Amino acid sequence: MLIRTENLTKSYDLGAVEVRALRGVTLGIEEGEYVAIMGPSGSGKSTLMHIIGCLDTPSTGRYVLNGAEVSELKGRALARVRNKEIGFVFQNFNLLPRVDLVANVSLPLVYHGGIARGARREQAVKALEAVGLTHRLKHRPNELSGGERQRASIARALVNEPSILLADEPTGNLDQKTGREIMAILDELSKEGKTVIVVTHDSNVAAHARRIVEIEDGVIAREGRA
Amino acid sequence: MNLLESIGAGARDMSTHKGRAVITIIGIVLGTASVVAVLALMRGGEQQTKDFFDEMGGLREIRITNEHSHSITQTAAERASERLTYRDAQAIRRDCPSVLTVDPEITRYFDVSYGDRTFSMKLLGTNRDYPFADNMPVAEGRFITDKDCENFANVVMMGPTYKEDLFGDEDAIGKTITVRGVPFEVVGIMQKKEFYFEGSGGRERNVLEWFNRSHYIPITTMIRRFTVNDRLDGLEISALSVEAVPALMEEANRVLLRRHGVLDFNVEAKSEQIQQRNEQEAFFNIVFWAVAFVSLFVGGVVIANIMLASITERIREIGVRKAIGASGRDLFIQFLVEAVVVTAAGGALGLLLGLGMVTVTDKVLNMPTAVTAGILIIAFSCSVAVGVIFGLFPALRAARLDPVEALRYE
Ligand SMILES: Nc1ncnc2c1ncn2[C@@H]1O[C@H](COP(=O)(O)OP(=O)(O)OP(=O)(O)O)[C@@H](O)[C@H]1O
Ligand SMILES: [Mg+2]
Repeated sequence: MLIRTENLTKSYDLGAVEVRALRGVTLGIEEGEYVAIMGPSGSGKSTLMHIIGCLDTPSTGRYVLNGAEVSELKGRALARVRNKEIGFVFQNFNLLPRVDLVANVSLPLVYHGGIARGARREQAVKALEAVGLTHRLKHRPNELSGGERQRASIARALVNEPSILLADEPTGNLDQKTGREIMAILDELSKEGKTVIVVTHDSNVAAHARRIVEIEDGVIAREGRA
Repeated sequence: MNLLESIGAGARDMSTHKGRAVITIIGIVLGTASVVAVLALMRGGEQQTKDFFDEMGGLREIRITNEHSHSITQTAAERASERLTYRDAQAIRRDCPSVLTVDPEITRYFDVSYGDRTFSMKLLGTNRDYPFADNMPVAEGRFITDKDCENFANVVMMGPTYKEDLFGDEDAIGKTITVRGVPFEVVGIMQKKEFYFEGSGGRERNVLEWFNRSHYIPITTMIRRFTVNDRLDGLEISALSVEAVPALMEEANRVLLRRHGVLDFNVEAKSEQIQQRNEQEAFFNIVFWAVAFVSLFVGGVVIANIMLASITERIREIGVRKAIGASGRDLFIQFLVEAVVVTAAGGALGLLLGLGMVTVTDKVLNMPTAVTAGILIIAFSCSVAVGVIFGLFPALRAARLDPVEALRYE
């Protein structure tokens, strides 16, 4: 099992009230699975995603990634896991605005360390080619369409060859046609064996996945397989 | 990411924020330039002081002067003391093992004539040690000898300005001049002594001209012919070496105290005077230091503020960087490097501006300056240090940002 969570909880102490974003999530995901996480707004999807992506740590519960107890890691160790094992795709792309696509996509390699500048560029260009952006290497994000930006951010998520691709509402800011193009790329990656986890409201998007996990109010409400 | 890569990333990132970098830089440029100017002025002043004292006579010199009692009534011992005398000088020469030269001086002004010219001129009674003690080479002829002193000889050594006043271009050696009617044979002419301090308004003044305006005669002749006793106006002695100066001071003190029975004299090394002068200059330099410090400090505060603003502006970016694998340490180094790159660039420009300022003070204000590699290194290090110190807090803030909150930040 690639991902295994046991009774994950996450609460935010806001003084007077305690917000319980997750209230005991137990979930297992095998290597190569294509999973959609659905649920209404505020149900805790992003929170779960951040914990799976090692951006956040649970309040209680265990999280084992690739056989390693991640819930006990801190700081630099977590950063390394994020860098090597996880590729993030965000709803609003989150590319660095002032540098071109090659520089944006190279960034995970920079934080990986030990890769020469030339080699980094080479790998970044290859990743951009894989998502069909060969003709946009020198462009800055604001010179691109939303679909192109999302493809660039997928390239960035993949450049380090992580074991898991996490996409939080990847089509949320895109029109339907562009959204379908992005989903086609994720489908392709899944077919190549990558573990893909997509968070979405949209059942059309969720339909691309082979397994759907529905979250309501911080717990898993339903699960189903396509 | 290793340190080198972090530095590269920080520097690259800075080059994408050029506008911000320029604003930040101004304070650092001024601060660094001030440091260069301060240090160059300090060194210039020290150098000039040292040159001046070298020219005056070396660091082996000790000056002995009469110390006047401050109380109205004198003690019996004070009344009995003859003050500094020629016999004191002889005693020091005889009894102080560390002494090299002894130069007793009595100064008087008399009418001096040659042919039909008569002037009121200064006569300095002294002995053979005078030119060595005061570093005055002979231009022509010879100086006063021990034999002259023993024989109370009527011989005179002339300062170059007086020689010109009396003789013009005419040869003077072997000629006779009269001092208050007493004939003196000219046996030598002193070399001209010069040290120009550039005064205000660019006027140069030879501060050693008083050496040139003097006649030098044997002190014994001076005492026998022109004075009622052998009291000295000044007594300068020098030690065998710079290291022997403290020993000689002690020896001279002991000899004089034994002879006077009371401490009515003062023994002071010339190096102490240099010390005092340097201390005075150091005081003036405090003003410049204050300017440099304030500029650097203001520059640093501006940097810290702009860095903090840029971090707020870039919170999402920090979140993204963390999401793709940047550790807190990576971001800390990145932002610190950005601060240091800015201040180092400002420092480099500041060095140029500082060199310009130094040239201006040197050429226009006529203040002595000296720029060394050490000064440039110190000034540049100051600018880098400002970057490190004032970049520390913003960098720490960036490093500590929670990635999830940073990504949520609107
Ligand atoms: N830093 C925080 N402080 C307080 N409450 C928080 C914080 N982060 C999240 N929450 C709360 O936790 C709950 C779950 O948030 P989360 O972002 O995971 O929801 P979501 O399912 O991703 O919603 P959406 O579909 O709108 O993105 C929400 O009620 C949210 O208000
Ligand atoms: Mg969400």
